[in-house]
Amino acid sequence: MSTPISEEYQRELSRLVIKTGQMLLQHGAESQMVGSLCCRLGEALGLDSVEVSLSASSMVVTTLVNDYCITTARRCPDRGINMHIVSEVQQVVVDAENNAIDVAEVRKRLHSIEPYKHNRWLVVFMIGLSCASFCRLAGGDWLLFGWTFLASSVGMFVRQEIAQRHFNPLMNFGVTSFVTTLIAAQAEIYEIGNHPFLAMASSVLMLVPGFPLINSVSDMVKGYVNMGIARWVFASLLSLATCIGIIAATTLLGVWGWV
Amino acid sequence: MDILIALANDMFFAAIPAIGFAMVFNVPPKYLAYCALGGALGHGLRMLLLTQGGMQVEWATFTAASSVGLVGVYWSQKLNVPPKVFTVAAMIPMVPGVYVYKAMIAIVEINHRGFSLEIWKIFAENFIKGTSIIAALAIGLAMPSLLFYRRKPLI
Repeated sequence: MSTPISEEYQRELSRLVIKTGQMLLQHGAESQMVGSLCCRLGEALGLDSVEVSLSASSMVVTTLVNDYCITTARRCPDRGINMHIVSEVQQVVVDAENNAIDVAEVRKRLHSIEPYKHNRWLVVFMIGLSCASFCRLAGGDWLLFGWTFLASSVGMFVRQEIAQRHFNPLMNFGVTSFVTTLIAAQAEIYEIGNHPFLAMASSVLMLVPGFPLINSVSDMVKGYVNMGIARWVFASLLSLATCIGIIAATTLLGVWGWV
Repeated sequence: MDILIALANDMFFAAIPAIGFAMVFNVPPKYLAYCALGGALGHGLRMLLLTQGGMQVEWATFTAASSVGLVGVYWSQKLNVPPKVFTVAAMIPMVPGVYVYKAMIAIVEINHRGFSLEIWKIFAENFIKGTSIIAALAIGLAMPSLLFYRRKPLI
């Protein structure tokens, strides 16, 4: 570095670097990506090096310039998976690397990212259709297809309503699977379709935490074992909550089929 | 001919959940088509390997996931977005949800009814099957960065 970086400036850069990491971690990016994008942004903006330490609910970043360190920590409560934010943040880092934007512009862009939201009714419709497709793939007929569509659309609506009121996700998954199974199990009671159990099995598949599970394994493979374990445990808790909802509903209705 | 119709059916019904879950993951609309394509490709390939190739489900899943992972790298460099934007949603139709739930429900049942070898067997089999398929999915997706992009970032 030809021009020495002032302490105030280094502090500003550290804030931007940790903001990048925080946004990525909160919206479901895998750990290696969080670490490498923080380092890339820091180095692109003129820091000597950036060290990142991740844990399940917070992160610590140390930036180094001319043997002078600044360390800062942030809490990173989960905000739900949002690939739009992840790709926007990546874009900012790439632009900073290509010297297309300066520090003020990086700051402005990081703070102005608004999460994109799909129309909620469209999501309800598509998730209903998705679970119905799972039923179809498993060999269900069109009657079951329709029944699964109904059960999981209603389930998705319930899930959105509960999420909007900021309930704990574990509770949300339990209640949603309970409602979904109550509807889907009617197929078993009235013997709708060729394999009535398929409606029950497929309609709750919308609650499988697929993204956390995949992230968990890739974190562990890439050396972030603590993050991988944390994600694995949380994904398991989500599926356990779902199963408790399922069991509550099947016990209430006296339907059996899962085990 | 029959196999082609079965394949088309399989790919079509795998593309729908790929889009549906991509929307839950807030993938921007312009990338949804890639998710659908990836989902159809992955699930269709796995179905072919399972029925025609007689492969074990884990290896078929791994091969399908690596293929989608590679295609995902190509798209990601073309469109300048992280590959996971398309590839994870594309994997969702292959996630072994029923195995995961059966394993969990078996645990709760052991608590309710007491231990029996029969329920324990259901737990062990489903847990191991589910975990290996998830590992196959995740490691398959990570293959490009494990093989080709070891020292440099993808985009």
